[in-house]
Amino acid sequence: MTILGTTFAVFFSLLQVVSGESGYAQNGDLEDAELDDYSFSCYSQLEVNGSQHSLTCAFEDPDVNTTNLEFEICGALVEVRCLNFRKLQEIYLIKTKKFLLIGNSKICVKAGEKSLNCKNINLATIVKPEAPFDLSVNYREGANDFLVTFNTSHLQKKYVKVLMHDVAYRHEKDENNWMHVNLSGTKLTLLQRMLQPKTTYEIKVRSIPHDYFKGFWSEWSPSYYFRTPEINNHSGETNPILLTISILSVFSVVVLVILAYALWKKRIKPIIWPSLPDHKKTLEHLCKKPTKNLIVSFNPESFLDCQIHRVDDIQARDEVEGFLQDTVPPQLEESEMQRPAGDVQSPSWPSENVATTPETFGRDPPLRCLAGNVSACDAPILSSSRPLECRESGTNGPHVNQDLLLSLGTANSTLPPSFPLQSRILTLNPVAQGQPILTFLGSNKEEAYVTMSSFYQNR
Amino acid sequence: MFHVSFRYIFGLPPLILVLLPVASSDCDIEGKDGKQYESVLMISIDQLLDSMKEIGSNCLNNEFNFFKRHLCDDNKEGMFLFRAARKLRQFLKMNSTGDFDLHLLKVSQGTTVLLNCTSKVKERKPPALGEAQPTKSLEENKSLKEQKKLNDSCFLKRLLQEIKTCWNKILSGTKEH
Repeated sequence: MTILGTTFAVFFSLLQVVSGESGYAQNGDLEDAELDDYSFSCYSQLEVNGSQHSLTCAFEDPDVNTTNLEFEICGALVEVRCLNFRKLQEIYLIKTKKFLLIGNSKICVKAGEKSLNCKNINLATIVKPEAPFDLSVNYREGANDFLVTFNTSHLQKKYVKVLMHDVAYRHEKDENNWMHVNLSGTKLTLLQRMLQPKTTYEIKVRSIPHDYFKGFWSEWSPSYYFRTPEINNHSGETNPILLTISILSVFSVVVLVILAYALWKKRIKPIIWPSLPDHKKTLEHLCKKPTKNLIVSFNPESFLDCQIHRVDDIQARDEVEGFLQDTVPPQLEESEMQRPAGDVQSPSWPSENVATTPETFGRDPPLRCLAGNVSACDAPILSSSRPLECRESGTNGPHVNQDLLLSLGTANSTLPPSFPLQSRILTLNPVAQGQPILTFLGSNKEEAYVTMSSFYQNR
Repeated sequence: MFHVSFRYIFGLPPLILVLLPVASSDCDIEGKDGKQYESVLMISIDQLLDSMKEIGSNCLNNEFNFFKRHLCDDNKEGMFLFRAARKLRQFLKMNSTGDFDLHLLKVSQGTTVLLNCTSKVKERKPPALGEAQPTKSLEENKSLKEQKKLNDSCFLKRLLQEIKTCWNKILSGTKEH
């Protein structure tokens, strides 16, 4: 049973192969070898003249004797069953609106009533679009590229609207090396760096239906020639605004560097990296070294040129913060100093000499003097008296203040400490018994002097 | 066991063969991808509707009997389109423009080609054009003719819109699947 079935299958397959088909046409139909002499090809063009379509057929063999040969199309037509072609030299043409564009049509070569060759063709699959036109190339300097634009009549058509375009360009010296670019729109951008400089190029474009309608490539559009610019010219052109901005920025950077170098120590570094106060240096800065050629003498006649001011009252009012709080005990605030009025010279100078400077003594001696007996302070203080420059007393502020500080001269008087003050009047006011008060009154820098108020009331 | 197999071999297949035509449509719709409709038929339908823009404002909201009897129901789209396509032929030569008839025929003929209905459906009687009117005077005839022309235009416009709607329904159902 199985063998019998296999035998029948082989027999029928051989029968089918022998029976018949040879040759292959592009439209899928099978052609007889004897009809190759009358083989033909056709293409359709839709809406070529308004709403009118065209169908063009021609024999593939140009040597065919077309005398008494006609073409006929039947099927897939509107309102009619068949239509005859019109013969124009070697081609056969038909123009009509009656193509249905759905389903197959039968196109036959007829000699009289006899059909020599027939093909079943769907006219929607042999569409040949119209060639594009208005091809142009514009160079865009800012973008460094070439804009290729063209136009096609199918943009306004109803049926064949969707096309695929093929843009081909070549170097003028390279005749056979065409470069192709496929696009669906009508604009193309060619980068300048993709092309050679100072070279002439030839460019052209063609179209083919896409989507439902299918067919053949259209004819090429007329070629367009364009020349690429030199690269040097383009690179030499620079934006003047950009150049100006770059020069200004470099100049400003250089100026900033110079200013930073010049002002580093004085201005910039103290702000960025402030130095911690050094007490020794601060005191040295405040208490300047005495100048040379100081007059040191205890002879009052040597100081006749000096301006001597009468001190009526010495009052201690304001206390220097920090300086007093750290070193001066509260007794200092209430200390009262009084010295006889008018008698400035003799006790003043010793008392001035009593006024110690931070350079000469440390802090402790002034404190001991302030808090303790004045007489106890006199000797050590006098022994290390500070030279006095009367002439310079009016000019040097803190120096003068220190020099003009008057000692109490008696017991129970406290010595004013040497305050690093400028342009202030040191007055000692009797606030409380036994406690002098030091007051700093603002005054002219050059005429800084100390007024000593009366000493203690009990004196 | 022999009785069971006998029943399944000789009982069920004929039953299926008998019931299959009832469930299936009479028309096998080709081109369900929508390419032929969108590229060819829809262009002609839009051309016809554009030429009938002024007619819509004068149409009364009449319920035409055709649409009461024939609907684009599920599994009945092919039959509706076939009948609508045949109905279109009755409106040839209604418009003096030659292109109007061409587009009308393209829609009718193209729809018929795409539907690929069975021979039974094709042999069915085409819908009646209308009942014969009794004899009337010239003026009455003239007004009646104008009224009829307006009604025909309104019906044709409605018919084209229904054809378009039914095609869109078929294509949307195909895309969902």
